[in-house]
Amino acid sequence: MTTTVSASGLSLRYGGTRALDDVSLRLTAGVTGLLGPNGAGKTTLLRVLATALPADRGAFTVLGHDPGTARGRQEVRRRLGYLPQTPGFHPDFTAFEFVDYVAILKEMTDRAARHREVRRVLDEVGLAEVRGKRIRKLSGGMRQRVALGSALVGDPGFLVLDEPTVGLDPEQRMRFRELIAEAGEGRTVLLSTHQTEDVAMLCHRVVVMAAGRVRFEGTPAELTARAEGRVWSSTERDPGAKAGWRTGTGTFRNVGAPPPGAELLEPTLEDGYLLTLDDAGAEVAA
Amino acid sequence: MTTLVEKPVTSAIRNAPGGSFKAVLALALFESRRLLTRIPVLLAFAVYLGWTLWRAGKAWGDYPALQDADRATQSAPMLVGLAVLLSVNQAALRSRRHGTERHFAVLVLPQWRRTAAHGLSVVAAALLTAVCVAGQFGREALRPAAIGHGSVSELLVGPLTVLLFGTAGLLLAGLVRSAIAAPLLVVFGLFLFAFFWGTSDDATRWLLPAVVEASSNTLPSDLMGRPAAWHALYLAGLALLLGLVAILVAGGRKPVVMAGAAGALAMTLVGGVAQSAGESPGLVKARERATLHPEQVQTCLRRDGSTYCAFPEWGPRGADWAGVVDRVRSLAGGSAHEQDLVVRQRIDARYGLSGDAALAPLERPHEVTVGTQWGGNRVPEFAAAAAGVLIAGDEKAANSICDGRIVPLMWLAVGWESDPLDALRRVRLDDSVTGSAYVLQPTHGLYMTEAQTEVLRALLDLPRDEAGARVKDHWGELTAPKVTAARAAELLDLPAPEGEDKCS
Repeated sequence: MTTTVSASGLSLRYGGTRALDDVSLRLTAGVTGLLGPNGAGKTTLLRVLATALPADRGAFTVLGHDPGTARGRQEVRRRLGYLPQTPGFHPDFTAFEFVDYVAILKEMTDRAARHREVRRVLDEVGLAEVRGKRIRKLSGGMRQRVALGSALVGDPGFLVLDEPTVGLDPEQRMRFRELIAEAGEGRTVLLSTHQTEDVAMLCHRVVVMAAGRVRFEGTPAELTARAEGRVWSSTERDPGAKAGWRTGTGTFRNVGAPPPGAELLEPTLEDGYLLTLDDAGAEVAA
Repeated sequence: MTTLVEKPVTSAIRNAPGGSFKAVLALALFESRRLLTRIPVLLAFAVYLGWTLWRAGKAWGDYPALQDADRATQSAPMLVGLAVLLSVNQAALRSRRHGTERHFAVLVLPQWRRTAAHGLSVVAAALLTAVCVAGQFGREALRPAAIGHGSVSELLVGPLTVLLFGTAGLLLAGLVRSAIAAPLLVVFGLFLFAFFWGTSDDATRWLLPAVVEASSNTLPSDLMGRPAAWHALYLAGLALLLGLVAILVAGGRKPVVMAGAAGALAMTLVGGVAQSAGESPGLVKARERATLHPEQVQTCLRRDGSTYCAFPEWGPRGADWAGVVDRVRSLAGGSAHEQDLVVRQRIDARYGLSGDAALAPLERPHEVTVGTQWGGNRVPEFAAAAAGVLIAGDEKAANSICDGRIVPLMWLAVGWESDPLDALRRVRLDDSVTGSAYVLQPTHGLYMTEAQTEVLRALLDLPRDEAGARVKDHWGELTAPKVTAARAAELLDLPAPEGEDKCS
């Protein structure tokens, strides 16, 4: 499979904190999930890959372009769609104006073609009906779709989405998953999220980060498989479990090293994620 | 498993040659549209246009001197400039205020090019102002009675002021990333303007964008002495300098930008120094000659026996003056009815446009002074001067009239008007039609007592033909020195006046 984004040895320090520590990864077309607890370095990695932040060490290429040079950085930016964790909006712009403005900043200079593209993108994210409405009058979910639209405008080859479903209600989140899945067809999408369901439903690859390092890189099935034989049920919380919680049936679901004779359960992606963090020495919250 | 690394791909849509430059233009169009539809800018343009139209409708606007009309376009655009300053500043701070900086930092067009686009959007506002200025001046220039010559440099001041204010707002956004800074700058600017407005120092007042003269003295174009071209160069250089420094502050440290900033600084300095150089000896000499010996530079025309001498630009005005002289003379009796006059246009140009001293009355017989302005109140004022010379023989003698001769004098001055009472009100200093008052003239004025006013009012109440006949019948006695207002009333068969009849 063709690698579209390739990073090796990326390191970055914020004062005394090692935000990225020798991060290497390879991304291919499709949606890759980036999981990790708060402070794992996910947003920092996304910002480095989006050329918003230079790494102290290491190198990477995006669609064959090296952002280490000014020219290469421009080329990467020409092919990049970036949705930051907390996107800002110009509230007195209409949805159309905002996406059009971003399109101009992406150097789409042909007015007619640009306007066609803006309309296409707004249609794609389901905002065709409200494109003339000022952003201040749009709901939170609609604003998030405006942000996704501005990331998608210009048909970027590499899409960086930093926790795009945070703050959305279940229905909006489902709609957003559909949009991300569509966006992942034919392009490389790196999706940072806390939601393991997002990864399970959308991603063909998953990267787990903790304390600035990559702890896992593989398919969701491989991550799930890490918990094979390490999830069990009990009537009381097992004190030997790394994590355990009461389920809706009244029994406890435990993750860790099961005692002999324990009733093993089918693992989920979240189990694999929790155990990966635990193996990495990160704090597991459950 | 074999891993393939993608080769560099190019984007056909966004990789065209000159894409960044075209993107700056596209963004400039976007920002221009937004700037020109901001409420402060729309309001400022509405007030500007409203004020211009209101002003154009005034009666005295029918006879414009274009060397004054060009300067009249300079003040109102400052209002537009202030609105543009605030709006451009807000637009340049938009990303910061709404938290899109981090997002937009990874887009292709860098901050300094966005700043350049904001700068170009100001050019759009300046061009729209230029259209308004052209419309305002064009309307004046197309009036049938317009005389003189406008200066392109003076006309450029309005648009350049908008450009300067806009780039100032842009630079301010780069230096102080707070939305409160621009309103504070406006307040500071207004204080500065008020300070420099009151100063008579020629060198410093030219640092302001629009240099308004304290008096309304109208001079021939060649005697104006305003360094308009240098001032336009100064404003253009300063506007360009501020815009380019804003781009430098935004990160556009490119050789071409730095070279441009250096060039703009040079323009500003050259214009700033040259505009403060003062008046040339040649100009001083020309002004003195026009003031003391106007006949050396004037051309004269004869009409119905009278002579009308004017500075070259006022040649077409001779017909208007002749019309007034004919009407005044038609009401006079005795030899005054046939008396030929010499109408001499006079100015005091020695102090330039700031001179506002009254002209001294002429002592040459039958010679009347006319000023450089016409229309509105200037017409009855000139008529009063012509009437005074017809009655007293010369201007100096007419100016010292302090008796009942004022009654026939003012009859001649306003009796031929379609609304004599309105003309009387306009020619009197306090706009009154009762009591005593000064009567304005191109030279020193006259004093009209309460009694004289009463008699004149009574005369004006009569049918015009009857009043004219009574005046002509008693012309000799009415125009004899020492005649009192009471005697004039008696001669004219009018009620005796009750008011005071003493000159102040």
